[in-house]
Amino acid sequence: MSSRRNRISDEEINELISKLQSLLPESRRRNIGRASASKLLKETCSYIKSLHREVDDLSDRLSDLIATMDSNSPQAEIIRSLLRS
Amino acid sequence: MPRLLSLYLAFPITTMQASNTFKQAFLKRMLLGLQLAGVSSKCMTIQERKSAIKLSADVAMACARGSTNWSRAIVTDLSKQEKNKVLLRSILGKDFERLIKPCHHTWKIPRSKKILKRSFRECSRRRKGLRAPHGLATSVLARVLVKKRTQVLKRLIPGGEYLDGSYLLDETLDYAISLRAQVDLMQRLSKAFEASKLGSHNVCTLQARGDSYADK
Repeated sequence: MSSRRNRISDEEINELISKLQSLLPESRRRNIGRASASKLLKETCSYIKSLHREVDDLSDRLSDLIATMDSNSPQAEIIRSLLRS
Repeated sequence: MPRLLSLYLAFPITTMQASNTFKQAFLKRMLLGLQLAGVSSKCMTIQERKSAIKLSADVAMACARGSTNWSRAIVTDLSKQEKNKVLLRSILGKDFERLIKPCHHTWKIPRSKKILKRSFRECSRRRKGLRAPHGLATSVLARVLVKKRTQVLKRLIPGGEYLDGSYLLDETLDYAISLRAQVDLMQRLSKAFEASKLGSHNVCTLQARGDSYADK
């Protein structure tokens, strides 16, 4: 079934572009207006970078929380036992 | 279009969100990773703990998604360091072999430039509504920008340097959706940890607040 397609149809391109647009959160979509390939790429790159930063910050946060999970509450004990190997 | 089809199946297009299966698999692997890395050990430095957490999160994301170019690139890149390899094997089990398999880099397609060129022409035509010959300078600039930004994108997506054209965009969509889920789940995890430190009566308040966030 897999015959090599040499052309990508216009619909497929538009579909990918509109999917990329819908991927971006509302706040970033406003920056683009009518889809322009280069603006869309720029916003997508910027969005992915911001997601990377969030993961980094959350890793810091989790590291801090785990290191100080000393509280006497039963919940803290549950967390501690979950993290023990 | 098999690739886009798998995208439809994995992520519902209406919400452009990761599935519950993904989320469950992520949490399970992340927890396993945190356990095996020994993050609750008092001997770890701050940096070591953070790296272990980040590694667990990325491995969990890759494993939960399954076999894609980016997920394999993540596992491959991580296992280049010997010290990570042992940990990766124990987190992933038999999935390690599956994810570390080299992927076909035959995705490089000469038509890629045509796609982006054509898509830009579509967009500019829609905007201007006429084939303006004086748009030549703009379209040359735009082509350069598209090329430049595609290069940036290729560096941001794991394994992106081997992809082009629609395959790169496919991967971008797929990766970004998973990344977003990773952020969301790590946020929930940290909220849960925070809540447990405060004790039982505060858990209810935080949970209520958490539910109202989920409604958005």
